[in-house]
Formats: sequence, C-alpha cells, structure tokens
Amino acid sequence: MYPFGRGSKRLIPYLLLLIPLLLYVVFYAGPSVMTVIYSFTDMKNVPGTEVNFVGLDNYKSLLFSGNSSERWASIGRSLYFMFVVTILQNGIALLVAVVLNQRLKGDKAYRAIFFLPVVLGVAVVSLIWSLMFDPISGPVQQLYSVFGYKDTFFGSFTHAFNYIIFVQIWMYMGYSMLIFLAGLQSVPRDLYEAGHIDGTSRWQAFRSITFPLIAPSFTVNMLLSIIGAMQTFDIILATTDGNFNTRTMAYDVYKETFRGSLDMGLPAALSVLQFLVVLVFVVVAVKQMRQREVEY
Amino acid sequence: MKRSKSVNLLSYSLVAILLILYVVPLLFVFNVSFKSFNDYLLDPLGIVQNFNFSNYTEAWKQGSFSNYFVNSVLYTGTSTVFTILISLFAAFPIARGYVKWGGLIYFFFIMSQFLPNPMVSQFKLMLFFKDHLPFMGYDSQIGYILLKTSGTGVVFMMFVGYIKSISRDLDEAAGMDGCGYSRFLLQIALPLMKPIIATGVILTAIATWNDFVGPIMYLSSPGNWPITAGLKEFKGQYGNNWPLLACGITIVAAPLIVLYVFIQKYIVDGALDGAVKS
Repeated sequence: MYPFGRGSKRLIPYLLLLIPLLLYVVFYAGPSVMTVIYSFTDMKNVPGTEVNFVGLDNYKSLLFSGNSSERWASIGRSLYFMFVVTILQNGIALLVAVVLNQRLKGDKAYRAIFFLPVVLGVAVVSLIWSLMFDPISGPVQQLYSVFGYKDTFFGSFTHAFNYIIFVQIWMYMGYSMLIFLAGLQSVPRDLYEAGHIDGTSRWQAFRSITFPLIAPSFTVNMLLSIIGAMQTFDIILATTDGNFNTRTMAYDVYKETFRGSLDMGLPAALSVLQFLVVLVFVVVAVKQMRQREVEY
Repeated sequence: MKRSKSVNLLSYSLVAILLILYVVPLLFVFNVSFKSFNDYLLDPLGIVQNFNFSNYTEAWKQGSFSNYFVNSVLYTGTSTVFTILISLFAAFPIARGYVKWGGLIYFFFIMSQFLPNPMVSQFKLMLFFKDHLPFMGYDSQIGYILLKTSGTGVVFMMFVGYIKSISRDLDEAAGMDGCGYSRFLLQIALPLMKPIIATGVILTAIATWNDFVGPIMYLSSPGNWPITAGLKEFKGQYGNNWPLLACGITIVAAPLIVLYVFIQKYIVDGALDGAVKS
C-alpha cells in the first residue's frame, strides 16, 4: 500500500523516478543500443549525410581487410593484457590479503597505503611512473644500470606494453586486496582451530578451508579484472598514447571515434566485438567459479 | 593458529618490499619537486640540498591549476549530489514497491553494468546536442556533469539493498501524519541512510575527481578542463622538466593525500562496501 496520499499524489514517485530513467536512457542505454545498430551501417560523423545499412561490412573490413593485421595485434594485446592483469593482480592481491589478515602490526596502515593509487587517480599515477621510468634520469634506469641493463621504458617497442601492465597492477592491486580481505574476515576462526587439531598443514588449511570460503570474493575480483582490463585504456592514453605497440581494442575504439576517420560504423562494430569478447570470458569465469563456491 | 617465526619473517619481508614499491615513488616525486632543473640533471636521485620553492609558484602559474581546481570541485560536487539524489529517487520506490513493474525497472537499470560500450553514439549524441541544445552539448560543463551523473549504477544498487532494511512502519506513520512523498524522501529517508550515503558520496566523488578520459573526450576548451586534463596538458608543455612536473604532481596529489589520511577509514570501508555489494 502506498501511504503518501491518493489521486494525483500517487504519481509523485513515478515523476521522480522519471529523472534517473531519462538520464539512463538518453546518455547510456540508448547510445549503447544505437552503437549496436550503427555497427551495421556506414554512419559518418558528418551531419546530414545519408546512412545505409551495410550488413556485416564493417566487421569484415575490421577483421579481414588489407590492414587488419594491426587489428588482430590489438585484439591479441587486449587478451594478453586481460590474462596477465587478471592472474598477477589477483594472485598478488590474494597473497597480500592473506598476509595482512594474520593481524600484522600496522595492517590498517598498510592496506590504506596499497589502496592510495586508486584515490590518486590515473592522471597522477601515470605521471609518477613516467618520472620513475624516465629513460635518461629516472631512478629505475639507474637501478638497471647497476646490472648493466638499459631500457627506454614507455618508448620501447618491445617492453612499453609490459610497463603499462605493471602500472595497471600497481594501481589496482589494493582494490582487489580489499575485496579478498573482506572475504577472509568472514571466515570463522574456529574452522582453523578444528583443522589444527586434526593436524592439517598451513597449505592444506588454505586449500580446503580458506579457498572455498572466499570463492565469492574470488568471483567478484575475477569479473572486475576481466571487465576492467578489457575496457580501460586510460593508462595507455596517459603514458604512450597508443604508440610503441601498445594499442588495445578499447584504445582503438576511443582512437577511431574521437581522432580517427569520420566513419562511425567501424568503431561501433569494434565496440560490439569488444562486448562479445568480455561476454565470453565473463560467462566462462562465472561458470568456473560457481563450481568452487561452497556454503557453510 | 600458531605462527612460526619464519612465516612471520616472510610476511614482514613481503610487506616491506611492497611498501618500498608504493611509498618510494611518492617520496621521489616530492624530492624532485624541490630541485632546480640543473640540480636535477646533475644528480636526479640525490636528496635535495637547496630547496627551490619557486618551482611551486612557477608551476602553479604556468599550469593555471587554480582554474582547473575550480572546475574539478564544480564537477565533483554537482555530479555527486545529483547522483545521490536521483539514485534515491530510483531506489526508494523500487525497493518499496511503490511503482508498477519495479522488478523489471530494477533489471533494466542493473543492465547498465553489462551493456556494450556506448562511447561511439554518446559522442554523436553530444555533437547533436551541441548543434541543437548547446548548453548541454559537447564541450559544455552541464553536458559533462550530466554524463557523469547516474542514478542507475553501483550507488543505486547499494541504496536498494539498504532501503529494504529500513522498516516500512516509518512510511505508514509519516503518511498518516500527512507527510508527502518527496518530503519523506528528503527529510526522513535521507538522514536514515547516512552510512550508505557516505559510501555513495566517496565512490562517486573519487570516480568523478579522477575521471581522466571523460574530459579528454567531451571537453575541448581548456577553460572547461578539470585537474586531470590540466595535468595532461602540463605534461605536454613541460615534457622533460621533471622538477616542474613533479610540482604539478604534488600540487594535485597533496590535497588528496592529506584528505585521505583523515578519512581513509571511511574511504577504504566505502570502497569495500561498494565492491562487495556490486
């Protein structure tokens, strides 16, 4: 029952709900659907030009035309980025969370420090690491020179992408760690006591007690990393701007939309491809993780 | 469980290595920011000998950071307030069942997390607005604020969960006393939701303040740039003058770090809440 009056007063919740609904449809859901539609047209970024349906032409020219080797390289890089970031970021984060969960001295301060990069933001973090990785005066170069090694970092055709991956993990490791910590703190301590009496080793305890119980936070982390890694391009934009073999699918969508040709159909088709890749991996990850989750 | 000495040692070494990785870059930037350009080139790593405070005044002037700061505060403030308000407008009636098809609308809103990347048509939309409704089109402050405001994201989902835990008797009692719907939302429901609103404010404010690609995509005039775009421009201008750039980094990061020290507990808990509930 609606307790706030009758008649026209009954309509007030609808009117207020209309604001978020409109905003969502106009700025998000609408454009999202339109992008899918554009991907089958030769839409130009020029007002007043004719728009024709071209079927799968955009997809064909993306994937199977003369210059699509660059495209496949971007797609490959996106997948590489996703796998490496998901595995390393979650692996390190889980290790750190388990260590901090033993109630080390100062654990609250450590977890705040590891989360700091998220607060600082991409603009600041990218600039900090551009300074650290400066090929002439940067401290990392000085460190390398001790071992007789030299690098051009974000200006290296072979290594720039890996340095971007490093910055990405450095930035978001703290976030994954927090999610694991939340999961770990919900594991009842007496389970370990029971395990201890039964003579389980630390590793066994982790594998058969901790891991199944924190599986939900594992699922959340996997999904966030997969979606995040496939869709972010801000660190790439801020460090190499796509030069030195660092373009990914997400960066390509941005580049072709805002600074590329006037053709809107191509980046739209690329967005749809990006969406399909994310969808496949999310479904696979969720299926895998669901099997590991247990309830107590 | 008992902890052995060796495990303890391993744990502390891991934490120590990570602390170096997370703290040293910040200290390094701070150190460089006080060096003159010549001192920096001669000895990039050494601890600063002659403090060169003029770097800061120069960076502040050259980078026109004051203007960017005002914009950042404006964008973060408005889009955070709007996001909280309209998330409440969306979440409350759906959580209470005061509108028809609430479940369907909820599902429709949640879909925002999974839809294909809307960037291409968003750009076209903003260009369309520029021609027909210039006040909210491409390269307008209002347009950017609208893009950053959403009543259907993570904040909305957290609100729905929280509102379900508030007793319905309150609604009935207030309605009996003749309190209207909008007054109830703003004067009774909103104060009751303080903890979850704090989380929502923190999540939205961090995301807006740090938005790096949005301003680059949708704001072309420097007069409209927030601090993130300003910092990128500053880097473009001063290329390798790292002492000046380090001042820029410090000017942008220091207020955030100071603020973070004071409210870090809320931020960390807030981020945690947001992550777990989404």
